[in-house]
Amino acid sequence: MEKFASEIIIGLEVHVELDTKTKLFCSCPTKGSEEPNTRTCVVCLGMPGSKPVLNRKAVEFALKLCLALNCKISPELIFSRKSYFYPDMAKNYQISQYEIPLGTNGKLKLKDGKEICITRVHMEEDPASLIHPSGLKESQYVLVDYNRSGNPLVEIVTKPDLNSPDEARDFMKKLITVLNYLEIFDINSGIIKADANISIEESNYTRIEIKNITGFKEIERALFYEVERQKNETKSHKKIEQETRAWDSERGITFSLRKKETEEDYGYIIDTDLTIVEITDKLISETKKSMPELAHDKVKKFIENHKIKKEDAEILAAEKGLAEMFEKVAEEVDPVLAAKWLRRELVRVLNYNKKELHEVKIDEKHMIDLLKLVENKKITDNVAAKILEKLVENPFDVNEYVKKESLEAVSDVSELEKYCKESIAENPKAVEDYKKGEAKALNFIVGAVMRKSKGKATPKEVNEIILKLIK
Amino acid sequence: MLCHDFIKKIKNREIDIASHTEKIIDECKEINKEYNYFNTISAELALEQAKEIKKQLKNKDSKIKNKKLLGVAVSVKDSICVKNVETTAGSKILRGYKPLFDAFAIQKVKEEGGIIIGKTSQDEFGFGGFSANVGIGFKIPKNPFDIERSCGGSSGGAAGLSQKLDNHIALGESTGGSIAEPASFCGVYGLCPTYGRVSRNGLIDFSNSMDKIGPMGKTIDDVALMMDVIAGYDKNDSTSLNVKKENFESFLNKPIKGMKIGIIKEAFAEGVDREVEKNVYNGIYELEEEGAKTEEISLELPIKYGIATYYMIATSEASTNLAKLCGMRYGATEKLENSFNEYFTKVRSSNFGDEAKRRIILGTFARMSGFRDAFYLKAAKVRTLMINEYKKAFKKFDALASPTVPILPPKFSEIKKLTPLQHYLTDVMTVSPNVAGLPHINIPVGFEKNLPIGMLLIADHLQEGKLIQLGSAIEKGK
Repeated sequence: MEKFASEIIIGLEVHVELDTKTKLFCSCPTKGSEEPNTRTCVVCLGMPGSKPVLNRKAVEFALKLCLALNCKISPELIFSRKSYFYPDMAKNYQISQYEIPLGTNGKLKLKDGKEICITRVHMEEDPASLIHPSGLKESQYVLVDYNRSGNPLVEIVTKPDLNSPDEARDFMKKLITVLNYLEIFDINSGIIKADANISIEESNYTRIEIKNITGFKEIERALFYEVERQKNETKSHKKIEQETRAWDSERGITFSLRKKETEEDYGYIIDTDLTIVEITDKLISETKKSMPELAHDKVKKFIENHKIKKEDAEILAAEKGLAEMFEKVAEEVDPVLAAKWLRRELVRVLNYNKKELHEVKIDEKHMIDLLKLVENKKITDNVAAKILEKLVENPFDVNEYVKKESLEAVSDVSELEKYCKESIAENPKAVEDYKKGEAKALNFIVGAVMRKSKGKATPKEVNEIILKLIK
Repeated sequence: MLCHDFIKKIKNREIDIASHTEKIIDECKEINKEYNYFNTISAELALEQAKEIKKQLKNKDSKIKNKKLLGVAVSVKDSICVKNVETTAGSKILRGYKPLFDAFAIQKVKEEGGIIIGKTSQDEFGFGGFSANVGIGFKIPKNPFDIERSCGGSSGGAAGLSQKLDNHIALGESTGGSIAEPASFCGVYGLCPTYGRVSRNGLIDFSNSMDKIGPMGKTIDDVALMMDVIAGYDKNDSTSLNVKKENFESFLNKPIKGMKIGIIKEAFAEGVDREVEKNVYNGIYELEEEGAKTEEISLELPIKYGIATYYMIATSEASTNLAKLCGMRYGATEKLENSFNEYFTKVRSSNFGDEAKRRIILGTFARMSGFRDAFYLKAAKVRTLMINEYKKAFKKFDALASPTVPILPPKFSEIKKLTPLQHYLTDVMTVSPNVAGLPHINIPVGFEKNLPIGMLLIADHLQEGKLIQLGSAIEKGK
């Protein structure tokens, strides 16, 4: 039995679809018509006589990922045939990599600094998709759609270094950040799937594999469920056997697929239809040069150049879109102000709307306009926050909007004084209470002034005027 | 008549291409009744092509002048895809498969005005040396000199037809000797090119790392002509060699004075028929008379380990190649019932022949974890050693000589008595150059008991020209 330091042990095999225009071994498009079996050719249908030809772009993408994950790069790219019979396989073998994967021994850092070891990163082709017309178990027949057949995938395998579903989610989040930075994964339409190995101390770390969890939020859900299930089973003294389970996201449960006595034998051999591709030092250095800045580069840059806090820098850099927006906004307005507004207010509004940045139309121009008004005290924080909420829903020209709705901060002291005098006159009891020593009573009067000014006055200024007036 | 001269007559319209093609098709049908050289005769395609050529000739189309194969009948081994023509690789499991595309070699033949007359019979997927392992429901081709004997295999139909039909060139395919060996049994020339010289795109795989398409014909001139048509780089086959195009015809009638021929010592040892040996030596003497220098050379490794290495690699690769054949997307089907596993099993059990099943089992076994290192990977290493040994020999020699097959064409009644191992051993001369990807040629050198005997010449990678040069010298000497 293996010895582990933690009570929960999780390892992931993540499959990511690379965002190339064409498939891995033929020139069929990876996107386009959703009509079944329209994006196919003799190669991705596995027709006798057809031959695969490697898509170099996919190699470049996979290589970028390996480099970003600090992997050791194999000097040769070799493809193997993984043989098994299944209706979603056009050839009843999958072109994959076996003995010598493209990348080995990499790592990815979680937010708390813990390093997760990446055992291997390899390239392979996606099988077709199976459609069960009346559900996985009830269907009398399945339909096969080869549109996906032959799409390029990378498989990323971790060591069982993850110790909780939470860490697994964080790993996935970090991985997606890397994929986004590299622009090799289409977050809107690309598929990310994982198989997870999970075991707990109570069962002497009996390994359970959960197959085919689609979507990164599902991975945490499935793992969370599975940990609880295993704990409950061992609590009620049931023996946990090594098995493969599937995740049913609708019911939110895992269920047994098969008890595994032995490892499957895929009878790997080299695919001699494909020649060995040399991964030269020149190719590696060229690829490195063509790689964009990654999250940790951005963090460093934000701290050094923009003098913002490490914590803010990390949150901004974690999402490529946010980081890029910050860089542009920070050119026009005070970086510290920009950082505060992007990482607190914008993220808050997005979370409230359950949206990701790439899903909304707000852009750096909106943020610059808005924050310039804030910076120049043309509008109050309050007003700015409200405008931001509206911007996320449906963007508009900020300056025009402020003018149209007359939201500019009241800087005319006489007008403010007028509101203050009115409020003092209307709230004699509060004034009296304040004079008796109840400091809180002052807030009541300030609130009344703010209402009159429709939020256009800053509380600080109002405070000062009132104090002056009632002394 | 050489195809070269025939093409001139077609171009000058001394021969009417349309009626000539009709005559050829009738002749093929007649030959097929007795000899079973065709799985399919593509009469419709041939006549349509002939009609088109006739039209272009009539219109004095400028492009027609340069067509290298104008009007020549071309037969195609059944493992090579011809668009819309049933392509089975000799197996029941591919009955009904009409490819959606032409193989690269077929595209070239069509571009050069060659007329596709049909698909020739073969051992199922190329699994055999006598064309006796045809698929279920297919007919066994017979030797053109004696119908009780084998015409060799696996490109048996191609070889037999080359002997029987004039103004015709065949496209064969060799994995372990399937061009040279049947050519020897049928008394024709068969050139297996360097691996990668002719694109495999459109060839139904047997063993990907060894499969090669090559020409077979009655004369060395015809073989050289076809090489000029089908050789060349193809971006749709990753293993296609991107090398300068050669003019193979320019090697015809080129003097061979001073060329060095190595006579493989082990290839004339025990087990070689005396009559075969005598005739092959006659061929060697002819080369000497033309000015070639000969010397004995020992090539122990290829002769000793060739068969074992070949069958390990070939069956391993074949067992994965045949996996796709399961009655789901093309070819034979069975009644749809029960799980996919049961269905696939039913289709494969009732549509593969015995030898195909044997090789699937052998190959799957050799790939299993726990055995891979001992069999498949070991074989891959021996293959490298064999290539090294050949390479060393080619530093000294232009070509290496041996019999193509150690025996005369056997009777079908004798073949039936062979164990699978004895059957495999008849490939002893041809497997090794195939494993090493080296070009080799069968050159007819004589007859005994009215049966043809062939000599095998092997050259270094990409030196097909030398083989044509030497073959041409022997042909001239006859």
